[in-house]
Amino acid sequence: MSKSLQGKQRTRNGQRGHYLLRLFTAGNGPNSKKALANLRCLCQEHLKGRCTIETVDVVKDFQAAVRDNILVTPALILVAPRPRVTVLGNLSDLPTVLAALRLSGSES
Amino acid sequence: MHGKRRTISKVPTQIAGLDEILEGGLPRGRTSLVCGGPGSGKTVLGLEFLCRGAMAGDPGVFVTFEERAEAVRMNAMSMGWDLGALEKAGKIAIVEARLSGDEVLSGDFDIQGLLTIVGGHAARIRARRVVMDALDVLLRVYNDRHRERIELSRLHDWLTDQGLTSVLSVKTYRDDNEGSQYEFLDFMADCVIRLDHRVVGQVATRRLRVIKYRGSGFGTNEYPYVIGHCGIVLFPLTQAELNHQPLGPKMSSGLKGLDVMLDGGLRRTSCILVSGNSGTGKTTLASTFAQAACRRGERVLCLNFEESKEALISGMLSAGIDLRPSIRARKLMVQTALPESTGSDGHLIRAIEALDFFKPDHLIIDAISACLRMGSGQAAFDFMMRLISAVKERGITSILTNQVSGLIGSDEELSGIGFSSVVDAVIQLRFIETDQEVNRQIFIVKSRGSAHSNRRQSFIITDRGIEFPDHSQPPSVQTRRTGRKDGGK
Repeated sequence: MSKSLQGKQRTRNGQRGHYLLRLFTAGNGPNSKKALANLRCLCQEHLKGRCTIETVDVVKDFQAAVRDNILVTPALILVAPRPRVTVLGNLSDLPTVLAALRLSGSES
Repeated sequence: MHGKRRTISKVPTQIAGLDEILEGGLPRGRTSLVCGGPGSGKTVLGLEFLCRGAMAGDPGVFVTFEERAEAVRMNAMSMGWDLGALEKAGKIAIVEARLSGDEVLSGDFDIQGLLTIVGGHAARIRARRVVMDALDVLLRVYNDRHRERIELSRLHDWLTDQGLTSVLSVKTYRDDNEGSQYEFLDFMADCVIRLDHRVVGQVATRRLRVIKYRGSGFGTNEYPYVIGHCGIVLFPLTQAELNHQPLGPKMSSGLKGLDVMLDGGLRRTSCILVSGNSGTGKTTLASTFAQAACRRGERVLCLNFEESKEALISGMLSAGIDLRPSIRARKLMVQTALPESTGSDGHLIRAIEALDFFKPDHLIIDAISACLRMGSGQAAFDFMMRLISAVKERGITSILTNQVSGLIGSDEELSGIGFSSVVDAVIQLRFIETDQEVNRQIFIVKSRGSAHSNRRQSFIITDRGIEFPDHSQPPSVQTRRTGRKDGGK
């Protein structure tokens, strides 16, 4: 089971520079909550209006974890734009996450 | 409350010899740890545990952190285990749990994803066994001992909650400060097995040791093992008592003259050492025995470490002994090997496989002196002790030839590699020089549980075999019996 957080974050989809982020969490544990909060915050700050967040709870959908080989959670996959990047952890270290998502220079 | 001791429930591994050491198998529903250096056979052990279980109807999940699933399948296939077929039959699931290594780490995480994947597969095939191979590779992502421990406890608790009988394998290096890196795993696991792969005298040897087994006894020695072409084989000498068969009735040695010297012949199930210099006729004597036994309809296995089967046959033909009919009748099996070709463990497994396949009444080893070339004196001793023990347990007669050096072999060399306690009879062959010629003599040094001649008897090797020409002086039998009457152990 996965759901997309669309709406106001999802505009101009398919356009160059649009981010598709898939966040894998396990249940409702503190790390899951932290990761989702951190990611929302990051998108609000740096990717406003040009990102889609897909969340997958591996406890509910183990096949999704198999498909993307998710061994540790939380895990964030930058699906688009390419190349694909995986970030493990609750995303608490913002500069590291920004650098991984190639957003370091995009302060605005 | 009953005073009866409760024994824990175990899952047999069905790995040759391992269940004897583990006194039944691995602890059911609990976690066992297998650690060892690279190439020590951790993966094979895990795979074998899983495959043998799956083939017996006990499904399992194999989690590989290091190798690709395809490599695991090929690895298993080389041992004759068809993982692909077992997967299709829903008896085995392979989980390729490899981190790519380029993940970015940010903040806290845990292995819930892995547990979910394993749990999902386990539920799908109703698995009762789980093997996690090269767990250390996964742990590397933490780069923090404290967090490693927390995750391992989580894993351990989860496995226990699921009631899965699990084997975790971890790579360890012996001469490494990090040797104790996974020490806490030893505390956590209910059973810890250590595999060691070392080189002694240029020959690789493998040793298995059980470090602990919560709630159970176990064999505490180091046990040699080999990775054969159908898995791991161990040779535990776990029984405290010797289960050797007692010496049996007399049988002909194949030579009337020698039978007279031995007061009727050789005893069945005994271990007979034929010692002498090169060329004294040891192989001829052993072949005479083999031919006679085969003619009686008995089976003889000959392990030859000195010459090829063809060389043996043609050599014996010149002495009037034709081994070919016995071989054709499948009464005689000649198995040759170069001692240097593998370690003593490898030779042992081959020999025992031949014993169990051919089921001989008698075994000839030509020559035990060549066994020293298996690596070291210790290697040769291990080989001989274990093989002779296996032979005696099966009630098989063994004839060992031993080449001694020097013109006249010293008495110390008579017992070969130092296992004289298991040798029941010693026949010495030697050259005797007179003014004009060199003649051969045979002498019975010892014959447990039997009277024997105390005379040195001359013999010749003709194109009709071994002959005792000295008919005017029939060999006498010493009336005093040497050794115990019952034949000892």
